[in-house]
Amino acid sequence: MLMLHLPPLKKAQRLVALAALLLLAVLISPTAADGSRIFLQAGNLTDILRQVSLIGIISLSMTFVILTGGIDLSVGSILAFSTAVAAMFLTRGYTTHMAVAIAAAVAASTLAGLLNGVVIATTGIQPFIVTLASMIGVRGLAKWLTSNQNIDIGFGRDLAAEFAAAFREKAVVIGAYALAAAVSWTVLARTVFGRHVRAVGDNEKAALYAGLPIRSTKIAAYLLSGLFTGCAGVLYAAENHQGNPNAGVAYELDAIAAVVIGGTRLSGGQGSISGTIIGTLIMGVLTNMLRLNNVDSNVEMMIKAVIIVLAVAVQRERNTN
Amino acid sequence: MKRAKLLPVLGGTALSLALFLSSCAPAGVPTGDPPKRQFVVAFSQANNAEPYRAAQNAFLTKLLAAQPDLKLVISDAQQDNSKQVAQVETFIRQKPDLLIVAPNERAALTAVMGQAMEAKIPVICLERDILQPNYTSYVHSDNVAIGRLAGQFIVDQLTKKYGKPRGNVVAMRGLLGVEGEINRDRGAREILDRYPEIKIVADPVADWIQAKAKDRMTEVLRAQPRIDVVYGHNDPMAIGAYLAAKELGREKEMSFVGVDGLGGTAGGIRKVLDGILAATFVYPLCVDKAAEIALRLLHDPGFRPEKEYLLQSVMVTAANAASMYETYSIPGML
Repeated sequence: MLMLHLPPLKKAQRLVALAALLLLAVLISPTAADGSRIFLQAGNLTDILRQVSLIGIISLSMTFVILTGGIDLSVGSILAFSTAVAAMFLTRGYTTHMAVAIAAAVAASTLAGLLNGVVIATTGIQPFIVTLASMIGVRGLAKWLTSNQNIDIGFGRDLAAEFAAAFREKAVVIGAYALAAAVSWTVLARTVFGRHVRAVGDNEKAALYAGLPIRSTKIAAYLLSGLFTGCAGVLYAAENHQGNPNAGVAYELDAIAAVVIGGTRLSGGQGSISGTIIGTLIMGVLTNMLRLNNVDSNVEMMIKAVIIVLAVAVQRERNTN
Repeated sequence: MKRAKLLPVLGGTALSLALFLSSCAPAGVPTGDPPKRQFVVAFSQANNAEPYRAAQNAFLTKLLAAQPDLKLVISDAQQDNSKQVAQVETFIRQKPDLLIVAPNERAALTAVMGQAMEAKIPVICLERDILQPNYTSYVHSDNVAIGRLAGQFIVDQLTKKYGKPRGNVVAMRGLLGVEGEINRDRGAREILDRYPEIKIVADPVADWIQAKAKDRMTEVLRAQPRIDVVYGHNDPMAIGAYLAAKELGREKEMSFVGVDGLGGTAGGIRKVLDGILAATFVYPLCVDKAAEIALRLLHDPGFRPEKEYLLQSVMVTAANAASMYETYSIPGML
């Protein structure tokens, strides 16, 4: 249990990794016509933040799920479901207030997360299997609701277009991520629920003997995953001007990658929100750096693979110390 | 202790990464060589994994490689809207001399292509429309027209076979809801519906995929005792249907028609040459037109391109397959 004393050091090390990557990105950044480095332009730096925000929000709640020793493979499908519900409410005259459409999309997604949680907590079937099933089922639901069609939000002057214009704003998207991050950090670090999440994942039997509410803790983690993913779906609908039943394919893997790069143990119990945020930023900065230098996209995938394994290898080294 | 060992490893990897990048990735923007102007053309591709799009990349690369003052960079959005938006944003930061976008989906790319136009980068929109005309030029083809051509070819085939337009047709449909699927289907039905004795006896969905088409066609073959023509909304599905029929010994009973007409050994034109497909209809790659517009835009400041270029399809049958194979095959491609 020596590692319990290490968290500050771990965090510092992750920050060092991010800082090194940032430095590398600055060093190899191409320059603009005026000689300045493109990577450092405010526009580019905020591009990165906006681009990681959706996966960032999903990976925050994924951190809770993974900390309980679970996994949520259904987030990509739930995101698609959320975009579809939001776009349907906005374009089919179900409501005249965009808040209603947003609430409907987030509520529907939260419900899907709740269902995951209840099935996992009450049946004892592994989370991998339950959320694999809902990944398939919710994708089917989204496609069925929309008859396989994208629902275009358009650029007119109607409610839907107003919604898209408001919620695709860089500041709003980045702000939403920042808010979600602050809430997640507070909940995990400062609440009883946060302690329960770690305890359940660290040693479920011990948590059971200690009388902790294991079921409700698990249910809440998956519910949170649905809730956050629903919010990301709303932002996706605005950004892409559409409800899209095919959206979010493989987003679960990007989110899981961010979480594990951030040092959260895939078997649960150990990890942090700040780690996940750093993990998300590492992937975002890496993508931007490689794109700015026009690295071949296949090479980009190979480099990312190396980074993921390397990051987790470093954490493992520490854990076995 | 191990931690101490791994940090240098990390650092070393980062350093070699940097060296690797700086050696293999020339900067997107010209550096200090003022005399000769280097143009950068950025191409945001929706999905390299589709054969049609891989052919676009290869053809455009080949066309622009002949220009010494021009550098082409291609990004691959892997069929993901958000990824493509991000990649176009990054291109905008790099300020290329021209941007070509093959949008993954219309709604998603509209706004960011508008940002590129605002940044004074000429934009060529390739093959798929967007919701607002946020482009300098839009180069595309017409899937309804291709569907009509295919429909007419099927009518002619059946008339030749039976002396009058009658017979059983199977349509292999692509991914539902996609423009290509909707319009290739609609165009063909417009023609076929005029002949009451031509029946579409099955229209299974095979999502553009050859393997899926083989499975769906096997089911159709079990259910339908007589089939005259299979119309695949793309060549791979027509080929998949052929493989299913061959497995059951029925490939001689019917003919197979596809769309796309890519060159190379894996493309549909080769399959016409081999006698597997009766015909395929070339869905223009559009990049040849885009390259032509790009070169004139960059070299001739007075050039004002059309807002829209509509490219016609070409029918490939046994009669012209050999020469079409020459035209559409790109060296270095399968």
